[in-house]
Amino acid sequence: MTNEIKLENQIGNKKTPKKRKIASLDKRKARVGWLFVLPFLIGFAFVYLPIVGESFWLAFNQLTIVKGGGYNLNFVGFENFVYAFNTDANFTQTLITGIGELIFQVPAILLFSLFMAVLLNQKMAGRAAFRAIFFLPVVLATGIMESIEASNILGSYMGESSGIDDGSGGSAASSIVSAIDIEQLFSNMKVGQELVTYVVGIINDIYGIVNRSGVQMLIFLAGLQSISPAIYEACKIDGATGWETFWKITFPMISPMILVNAVYTIIDSFTTETNTVMTYISTVASKTNGEVISTAMSWIYFLIVVLILLAVAGIMSMYVFYQRKD
Amino acid sequence: MSTSAPKVKKESKNKIKVEFDRTPLKERLKAKFLNTFFFQSVVVKIFRFIFLLGIAYVVLYPFFTKIAGSFMSPEDFVDVTVRLIPKNFTLDTYKAIWTDLKYLEALSNTLLISLVCALLQTFTCCVIAYGLAKYKFKGNGLIFLLVMLTMIVPHRTLQASISLNFTYFDIMGIFSFLSGGASVGIEGIDSILSSIHILKYPGGINLINTYWPLIIFSITGLAFKNGLYIFMLRQFFRGIPDSLEESAYIDGSGDFRTFIQIILPMSVPMMITVFLFAFCWQWTDSFYTGMFFTNPNKAPLVLSQIVGIPRSLDTDYAGQNMYEAAIKNTCGIMIILPLVILYTFLQRYLVEGIERSGLTAE
Repeated sequence: MTNEIKLENQIGNKKTPKKRKIASLDKRKARVGWLFVLPFLIGFAFVYLPIVGESFWLAFNQLTIVKGGGYNLNFVGFENFVYAFNTDANFTQTLITGIGELIFQVPAILLFSLFMAVLLNQKMAGRAAFRAIFFLPVVLATGIMESIEASNILGSYMGESSGIDDGSGGSAASSIVSAIDIEQLFSNMKVGQELVTYVVGIINDIYGIVNRSGVQMLIFLAGLQSISPAIYEACKIDGATGWETFWKITFPMISPMILVNAVYTIIDSFTTETNTVMTYISTVASKTNGEVISTAMSWIYFLIVVLILLAVAGIMSMYVFYQRKD
Repeated sequence: MSTSAPKVKKESKNKIKVEFDRTPLKERLKAKFLNTFFFQSVVVKIFRFIFLLGIAYVVLYPFFTKIAGSFMSPEDFVDVTVRLIPKNFTLDTYKAIWTDLKYLEALSNTLLISLVCALLQTFTCCVIAYGLAKYKFKGNGLIFLLVMLTMIVPHRTLQASISLNFTYFDIMGIFSFLSGGASVGIEGIDSILSSIHILKYPGGINLINTYWPLIIFSITGLAFKNGLYIFMLRQFFRGIPDSLEESAYIDGSGDFRTFIQIILPMSVPMMITVFLFAFCWQWTDSFYTGMFFTNPNKAPLVLSQIVGIPRSLDTDYAGQNMYEAAIKNTCGIMIILPLVILYTFLQRYLVEGIERSGLTAE
């Protein structure tokens, strides 16, 4: 004890008070922090950066594999990009349709997963079973299963007869509803034809949407759980209906999660291997000299995705509500 | 309401029996069940249940068809009357996949890879996420952005260069330097450089067809969707009060000991969630294994590569297309069967782990 007091006095005499001491602790903390993220930094610097750099470089080159081992690169400038846009007849078309599809799918996935999360958050009979079923695709319908499913004719075959389970003659794999049914439903509401086709598209793609909204549902559920029940209680006492509670409490409180999920959904659905653009790029990759051209194409695609991501994140973050933490 | 106090019938130590005029049962039931509120809630409950049942059907339908198709014999695919329930029940498809496609070998290889990769990924992501969540240093935000970036750039974009990089694997030219493959263009130095023969890999090491690329990706937090894991774990660690660590520091525990002995044990549910994700996604993965295991003679056989038509089932029968689709789907069933078993035991962690994580966006 006495020693320490003396030490402090000495430091005090030298007019270097507490400040330095705190700084050194901060520095030590910072050093330990760097140590914790070191695995990622090493991987990023020595594995990831060379890969990204090389990939970027490849897009400007022509690749020839040397027989003895190793490969040669010829710098060709923007030729691959020009080829992708001008010579390749399908690329621009695929890019536009693919991105158009995804722009329509992302809100559908977000809405659906939010809706399901709110439903699954309520207390009811068989909730655990429903949860287990809805999160099944998260772990099972990925990778190889997705590619088996992509070219699957079994589902439509099994469902094509009218006698199995539903009278409408549809099935999960073939179209569930026709545009005409929805049109009749909407005819009195004076909405445009675009909305009708959009809704029909969503309903017919319900399997794909359910499959791809598992992680989002989980994140939304976590967000819903973190809202204090006291707020809901107060609302109920004040006489708010369920509808009002959702829009005045749940929606603002969950809005940060909507942003997170929007970003995740965009990343996930744009980079999944089964979407239109990615499939096209991988078919190009298997052709002669396709490696570099497909790389160039995917960099173009990536740039567009990043732009969309930034735009969406920028617009949404303006409207996100953050609860102040005290 | 009667104004007089209820008459006490019997009173004991902790029980009291009181007599009062009770509303008849009929009236009470009427009041309870014959109102709009009750009707509304019943309608909502029924509607909700049917809706959830419908969606559950959509989710499970492909699995039903797969299972149904797996028991059908080729004749069933020509028969128009056969739909979901097979007429000629057979186990031939399973038997053929078991023997012809070397199912067991693929299963054990996949189990090994998935287990190792998932464990490594869980641990690495924990370490990185903890560093990002609890330590303030310059560049913290930047590193988190880089983590997100690794998730945004699709690995499909990098496919060509990933496979090139692992075919000629080299860290900053060190391996090539140590084996005499380096050159700077000046003759004198070049001759000295080429006389170094510590290692024998002048063109870098060929890691294709080995486990190493997957392990390297896992250990550095670059593998499939690790950005998501790091994000989830970071949010989780942020929810742990700092005072917990501070009390550990005061008791004389260092940073790493605190992390391993205090933080990790209390984050087990979250770690199980991440592990489950990593394990399942590695298990069904076909992109990485297809890219890294190119030579079937050298590389380990994994489950995602066994999808195909067993030779003993090769047929040019009328329903061939359907039958082959059914066989492929049966392969799918065989692949995910172990996962289904795992999922039934661990699925509650999947929800609870995230639910209790206090996962919130800042």
